[in-house]
Amino acid sequence: MNNNKLIVSHAPFWHDGDSLFTLNLNLMIAALPAVIFGLVQFGMPALGVLALSLSSAMVWEYVITLLSGKKASIHDLDSAVIGLFLGMMLPATAPWWMVITGTFLAVVIGKMIFGGIGANPFNPTLIGMAILALSWTTLLDFDAAYVNYDFDFTALAPLAAVKAKGALAVSDLFPLNDLMMGKQVGAIGTTFGLGLIIGGVYLILRGFVRWEIPVAFIIGIVFTSFCFNLVNPDKYAAPMIHLFSGYTLFGAFFLATENSSSPVNRIPMLIFGFCAGLIILLMRNIGVYEDGTVLGILLLNLVNPLIDTIRPKALGKGVNHA
Amino acid sequence: MIKRSFFALTRPRLGYDTPEPDPKEPKAIPVPSNLILLLHDPLDDARETFIKKGDKVEKGRKLHLYKDSKEYTISPVAGTIKVIDTYSDDFGNTSTYLVINTDQGLTAGTDDVKYELKDTIASADEYLRTLPGAPPLKTLADPDIKIDTIVITCADPDLLSTTHQYMALKFMDGIKEGIGVLKRITNVRKFCITIPENMNIKDEIDLAQVFRTSMIYPANLPQMILKDHLNMVLPAGKTPEDMGICFMSAEAVVSLARAYKTKTACHEKVLTVIGKQGTPYRVTAVIGTPLRRIFNAFSIHVNDHDRLVIGGPMKGFSTYTVHHPVQPDTDTVIVQDRDNIPELSDNPCVNCGKCVRICPAYIPANILVRYLEAGLYQDAADRYDLLSCIECGLCAYVCTARIPIYQYIRLGKHELLKLNADA
Repeated sequence: MNNNKLIVSHAPFWHDGDSLFTLNLNLMIAALPAVIFGLVQFGMPALGVLALSLSSAMVWEYVITLLSGKKASIHDLDSAVIGLFLGMMLPATAPWWMVITGTFLAVVIGKMIFGGIGANPFNPTLIGMAILALSWTTLLDFDAAYVNYDFDFTALAPLAAVKAKGALAVSDLFPLNDLMMGKQVGAIGTTFGLGLIIGGVYLILRGFVRWEIPVAFIIGIVFTSFCFNLVNPDKYAAPMIHLFSGYTLFGAFFLATENSSSPVNRIPMLIFGFCAGLIILLMRNIGVYEDGTVLGILLLNLVNPLIDTIRPKALGKGVNHA
Repeated sequence: MIKRSFFALTRPRLGYDTPEPDPKEPKAIPVPSNLILLLHDPLDDARETFIKKGDKVEKGRKLHLYKDSKEYTISPVAGTIKVIDTYSDDFGNTSTYLVINTDQGLTAGTDDVKYELKDTIASADEYLRTLPGAPPLKTLADPDIKIDTIVITCADPDLLSTTHQYMALKFMDGIKEGIGVLKRITNVRKFCITIPENMNIKDEIDLAQVFRTSMIYPANLPQMILKDHLNMVLPAGKTPEDMGICFMSAEAVVSLARAYKTKTACHEKVLTVIGKQGTPYRVTAVIGTPLRRIFNAFSIHVNDHDRLVIGGPMKGFSTYTVHHPVQPDTDTVIVQDRDNIPELSDNPCVNCGKCVRICPAYIPANILVRYLEAGLYQDAADRYDLLSCIECGLCAYVCTARIPIYQYIRLGKHELLKLNADA
């Protein structure tokens, strides 16, 4: 009698082949158009920031898993994604210590202390960015960051300019075409609107990102800014300026869609996206911040568990027993 | 194995397999020298068994483990009982297995045991429970269960299998005859029959209401048939039998008709065997044939760390031995090469929501699995719809974090049953 040692396990015996690695790899691939454009636009310093950010994020995760005696998990690329996204949101002139502090805050405070992947209630990248932005406001001032650069377009951060001078005064400085093609001052990976859209559409088509969130997010931005613009066009910028400047598109496709801090049911996703867009515009137009994307999405992360309780009734629940 | 498509904007669609339009005769596996029969009756060392090692049995003889046993099996051959021992399944439930050594001389000389079949369900239940296709006669004969509808399934519930469809294509007359027998022996008045929507059935079926079922998994699972065709939503935690509906495979109906015609039991089970490259083979084998014999017939080599799946890829179970026998309800056997076995993980849920979108029962599987991982089975059932699960396995199929969600659900249901039984 031949007795082979067979694998015995539980159904289902098939899998569609997805894994955390492919998910995170695709997130990074989708970010590539914007990243490459940023490298071309801002040169070697941008490469330095991105490389340091990505690698330090992975090192932080590795160190924490080592210290806490857990299985190393950096091979799922989750911290690489956090590092890359954080780097993309920084100006090319960010000092090295700020990058490392940022990835520490993002990976350790934002993710690892909650228990690692899947357990973070807030988007880790945004936790890092929020603390950096509150701590070193001047270093994240894009107008100040690029004084030594020589651009062939208006070297003013659009949202800051709108905030300072009103929409009417700056209306000729930022043609839509320039904004979309990345001819604006901003963070390394968030200025190239077209590239971000291409990446986002790629993620949606491949099913790595739920389409409801970015679509509702963009509707929220456009609708709210349109209302403001309608009331006072001299003061409040038109929808397209809001959409193609600052972190808006990056937020729509890459930040708001972070799995563990966003809802999964359809109606909650639509509410989540729309409200995020709405809050961001309220911050920009009424609040003190030029770009409310970071804090706006964090705020919605906070209410995510609450709104995600809106869900369809499961099969056979609440049926009258015949 | 069906992998995710490159573009995945919509949820994946897993299609049922269809048999070739004019199916060939299945390959008959010769009766092996040793047959293994399972008896759903645990062995008790303290008691003296009714059947003993060395007993001679005739073909078609009913075998009880103890004198007062309710469970029985039928010997498909004439021979000698060689082994009586304990078998335990994947949930640790114990039953008994018998090895019967085929006596070639006896087989040739003697006729099958003839049964005195009367037109009552009790009489059918007395002899025909282990017919190929495993007719649910025990349920039908139980006076505590009121069955008013029988659904005959000509559509295979799980993927890859085409056994039910083959029976429907080849033996529609037998199915009609079987419905006639069922009408005679039971009080059930309503008969329904599920037929895949792309299957060509030449003749009219007037004895039963025809349901044309979708070719996309999980449309042929009992709960989905109730929902889609009988407009009946199964309350959470109930079985179709609780609602008075009994499911019966096409093969069971055909073998019931044959048994009533010949007054003997038939023992040849039709099965779909899927080789390592995904090649389907159709086979008839005597119940009790070890799977190894079938693999030998098709030169399928089973190596270490391969996986043998009995039943479909979504709902079946895997066995630890190539000597596992063909049973009355074994429709499909799949050999999975070790390189094709997907790896599972102990990652936590990342909340990507794929399971929530694919779940046909609208269960929040992302939250449910967190409760199940923590062992909070009662909360899982009360708040996150554990008992609504129709056990299709799609959640674990799509899981990005590769969590065995379906396994957690099965375990949760099992533990909950045990808790409630102890209480």
